[in-house]
Amino acid sequence: MKNSTLIKGTAAIAVGAALLLGGGGTLAAWNAEANQAPGTIVAGDLNVVNATTAGVWKDRNNATIDITTYKVVPGDKLTYTQDLTVTLVGNKMAADISTTGITATNGFSSANVAVSAPALTVAGAAVANPLKPTGSAQTVTATITFEFLSGTAGRSDVTASYNFNNIAFQLTQVTQSGLS
Amino acid sequence: MRIKRTLQAAGLIAAAVMMGLLTVQGTYALWSATAVAAPGSVSSASFTVNLTATPSGQVTTMTLLDGRPANLALTPDAALLPGMSVYAGVVVTNSTDAGGTFNTVATAGQPAMANLSGGALSQYLSVSGKAAASAADCSAASGYAPLGASGLATPAVPKSGSTVICFQVTLSSSAPSTVKGQAVAITLPLTVRQLCGVPGGC
Repeated sequence: MKNSTLIKGTAAIAVGAALLLGGGGTLAAWNAEANQAPGTIVAGDLNVVNATTAGVWKDRNNATIDITTYKVVPGDKLTYTQDLTVTLVGNKMAADISTTGITATNGFSSANVAVSAPALTVAGAAVANPLKPTGSAQTVTATITFEFLSGTAGRSDVTASYNFNNIAFQLTQVTQSGLS
Repeated sequence: MRIKRTLQAAGLIAAAVMMGLLTVQGTYALWSATAVAAPGSVSSASFTVNLTATPSGQVTTMTLLDGRPANLALTPDAALLPGMSVYAGVVVTNSTDAGGTFNTVATAGQPAMANLSGGALSQYLSVSGKAAASAADCSAASGYAPLGASGLATPAVPKSGSTVICFQVTLSSSAPSTVKGQAVAITLPLTVRQLCGVPGGC
């Protein structure tokens, strides 16, 4: 008798729970939603590349020469220019450009040659770091001069060679107000 | 107890250093880019001067491979008689491989004479020189001037160009017969130098 009452009670609870589940809709109260469109965040850009595959060598008379075949003599002064294309995009973008300098393999007597460090210019004026976006790519020109001094005596440094190796130009973002 | 505190202090310091390093390193984490240029090599020219003797025909570079100056024998083959002259010459060729302008000038210095076999011929000899366009001009008696201390300089010789320095050796008409058959070695220093090619001067 007790078992029968227990079974009946359990069945009644199960039926009640089923009714509650089936009538879930009755729990819905008012609700609303709104969509926001924060937009897309777009990253800026920072890059420096050689504007041309190879730079240009010119002699004292401003005539272009082929450095692979040209042989210098005392009194020669050669100029090397390499244009760099600098891309800067970003509202708070600013970057310094610099060079690692020349690490040459010098077969000349150091007293007989004068080699300038790479000079960086924009439109003929020395670079004023930091560079900032201008809306388009900027051209930075690196210039190096090599002079075989006319004071070279005797037969000093005939068939000598000065290898510039690689010269790196580094563009590095710098922090501005609003960045950390 | 003391060891434990020491270890704790060391641990705190290490943690602080790590935190500090991480904090500082964070400021480097900005964009950067690098471009590399390779200007290449600058090579210097050779300073090659070729000499050709007349009449001996000897050919040499002015500087030998070991760096020593060359000796060039002119050896005029005509017999020298009193009041007469013999002639010889050197063709000087600018054979540099310079890329730009490379003009040279050759200079013959004052001759030095040495009697051979104890003779006395040299005091009756005089040496003159002139610059010429070809070796054939050397046998023409005109244009010669005595070679003094200042020497004889040629006109500018451009790349691949050449010039000729002619020499005239004259035996005085007053030479005695005792010098007959004697010989003299005449040494002439020859110098070639680069002319300044810098517009503003060297």
